[in-house]
Amino acid sequence: MNMRRLLGFNLLTAVVLGIVGFYVGWWLGHQINGPSVAYFASTGQNDIALFVAYIVGVIGFLAGLGFLNYPVSRMLGKPPSLREKESEGIGRYLGLCTDHKVVGIQYLLGIGAFIFIGGLNAMLIRLELMRPTHLVWNGNNYLTLVSVHGTMMMGMMTSGILGPFANYFVPIMIGARRMAFPRIEALTFWLLMAAGTILMTTFAFGGFPTGWTGYAPLSEQANMGMDAYVAFFALVGLSMTLLGLNMMATIITMRAPGMTWGRLPLFVWGTFSTAVLMVLAAPVLISVLLMLALDRTAQTGFFNVQAGGSPYLYENLFWIFGHPEVYILALPGMGILLEILPVFARKPVWGYRLAVTGMLGISLMSWLVWQHHLFVSGINADLRPFYMLSTELISLPTGFIFIAALGTLWRGRIRLTVPMLFSLAWIFNFLIGGMSGVFLSDTPSDVTTHGSFFSMAHFHYTIMGGLIFAFFGGIYYWLPKMTGFNLNERLGKIHFWVMFVAFNSTFGPLLVIGFLGMPRRVVTYAGYLQGANDWVSVSAFVLGASMLVFLYNLVWTQVFARVPAEMNPWGSKSIEFSLPSPPAVHNFDRIPTFGPDPYPYGDDGAGIGQRPVIAPARPTR
Amino acid sequence: MSDYATPTSAVGGDFEEPPQVMARNLRVASQLWASATAFFFFAFVFAYFYLRSLNSQNLWHPHGVSAPTGSGTAIMLLVVVSAAAGYMAARKLAAGDAASFRIGGLVALALGLAAIVVQIVQWSSLGFGPTDGGYASVFVGWTGLYALFLFGTLYWLETLVATSFRSPKNTDSAAAAAFAFYWVVLALVGVATWVVLYLL
Repeated sequence: MNMRRLLGFNLLTAVVLGIVGFYVGWWLGHQINGPSVAYFASTGQNDIALFVAYIVGVIGFLAGLGFLNYPVSRMLGKPPSLREKESEGIGRYLGLCTDHKVVGIQYLLGIGAFIFIGGLNAMLIRLELMRPTHLVWNGNNYLTLVSVHGTMMMGMMTSGILGPFANYFVPIMIGARRMAFPRIEALTFWLLMAAGTILMTTFAFGGFPTGWTGYAPLSEQANMGMDAYVAFFALVGLSMTLLGLNMMATIITMRAPGMTWGRLPLFVWGTFSTAVLMVLAAPVLISVLLMLALDRTAQTGFFNVQAGGSPYLYENLFWIFGHPEVYILALPGMGILLEILPVFARKPVWGYRLAVTGMLGISLMSWLVWQHHLFVSGINADLRPFYMLSTELISLPTGFIFIAALGTLWRGRIRLTVPMLFSLAWIFNFLIGGMSGVFLSDTPSDVTTHGSFFSMAHFHYTIMGGLIFAFFGGIYYWLPKMTGFNLNERLGKIHFWVMFVAFNSTFGPLLVIGFLGMPRRVVTYAGYLQGANDWVSVSAFVLGASMLVFLYNLVWTQVFARVPAEMNPWGSKSIEFSLPSPPAVHNFDRIPTFGPDPYPYGDDGAGIGQRPVIAPARPTR
Repeated sequence: MSDYATPTSAVGGDFEEPPQVMARNLRVASQLWASATAFFFFAFVFAYFYLRSLNSQNLWHPHGVSAPTGSGTAIMLLVVVSAAAGYMAARKLAAGDAASFRIGGLVALALGLAAIVVQIVQWSSLGFGPTDGGYASVFVGWTGLYALFLFGTLYWLETLVATSFRSPKNTDSAAAAAFAFYWVVLALVGVATWVVLYLL
């Protein structure tokens, strides 16, 4: 090993400086003489020290990766440069790299690892629920498992599609050689990795009991494990804001000649409408978490009734972010769906403008519904009809997406490839998720279903049934292009069918169990529900096992078998499939000029293996 | 083989890019960052009016909790004048006058730093603390984070001025314009802060 490289700016240095920074921060935090230290002296709890430790640790981590070099050189007056010097080899995946394709693969692996951890938590939760009384975990540990599972999944999956796929393919799809801000792009990924690590430290500080929403006053009274939640989500919020900003700037400013707004691929539209929400909603999340951090350290009283605050303030601000967040999770999946369907139906997208209107409509309307989460929290009863109506109205733009999808399938020459199977499953799952959502948007039925397993099953149908299925559809569709090696189709189909059946076998019964009154986040339940819960647990284990099939497929095909992927295995008309697999570092030798039709399928000569219909390329601009 | 690229395309190939691409990127990013900033502080505006309307335990604004309007006004004025100086400096640079940009930039930098110093002085002699009710909570959180935003933006200005001194030909008028836009927006947030926290 080259010693200079070992001691340079890379992941190893980052981990070392991150740990050193954490302990330096811990020590510094204990030197601060403030009211909080005195206040917590009786409990031995020093939240200030932990927050300072997290902050200094993250700074050390980023410094180790080399993120501070450029800002310091700019401070000293050195001229701006666009990106870091790029290298080849596996080392570029373990450090600061400004190639958007490398960042895309970093995201895929990094987020995948944390989702795997979140999934393991789900297995442990289901293990406990195999008995109506305590089986393995006590109540506190169970709540921590539930909380870490929810927080990890909701935090990481905000970038689950934009991170790997939009970072990798949006520049290519719009004919650009890079993202608008390559360093910021890399920063968004490493912030997420730091955040995920911080969340895992919660186990060392006693965990936290609040679930992913972090409601006050419970979050104000919780032990130091809660600080990990606050730091995690604040970093995720920062990462989301920067990711969204970078995506929007790239799409607005870096489109190649001919790539007008009316010709953007629908995946790019899905990315854009998501990015709008990220830029505007994530800052509210950061704000509310900073308020919570101030309450826990400086003893402000934002959410403390006894100090002039109100926990309802937390609920309102959290959901002003939180409901757009739901669509931050859903919209990219819709983009992938509408990208895959025309390829495997051999038809143009039906209702392109309708689909774009649907995505932008969802993006806009997602701001107007947040109070339906507070129907049973004592909000003014006069507000309920408005939020009930606005929540139901959001099904209109969502319906546009379904109409476009079904219209595209209608009379298509459908090929049931693995990406197509996942896309079709998306339609089925998201439909159930949407229909069950109606019960939660209606105040009368929400009163009985809120806080139950019905609610939990509903959002798993939308988020796992929508986002995760789209995520896998994207992996099977694009991974050969990203790595240059095919996945095994047969194993992919086994993965799909096991996952699809097990998913519905897990969450379908949970809708019923919720209707029967089983509450969320409670470790015990009524004895007569044990049979149904055992069924669900076994289904969940099978669902987890389906991920092992995928992992086997991934490792076997990408590390050992390594069957080279064709340039265009699906017969796609999208421009990324006219590039080598994987594309070269700068994507294009010449910037392309795009023709008028983004989905020219179905006309004569549009068979499998044809090139995208793109006007002759211009010289490099 | 692809029409657009070959598998052997050079690693780190040096592709020329028109300067207007980066200028557009900076302009759009500045506008988007300003939008994100507005939503960040919107949460504090929401908190202010929400807690004020609830007045939990009559602790929204207990007797004796009063922010010093004089220093608050001074902070707001310093930021506004600094933003005006930054804006004028960016316009000078766009007209090709790098020397005036450096002077204007230094003035904006000094005024912005002065605003932060006055803020710190104000905190040290507030007469109330973060534990003194709803208004005190909002005041401490809002002003503290606003000062953090001021500091970060001044870092941005410092890089522009330092580059202009060290390598004048690399002074980027697009970057200066993007900075000036954001600095003006942040000054407007400062005016809103002053109105809500000191006047209402």
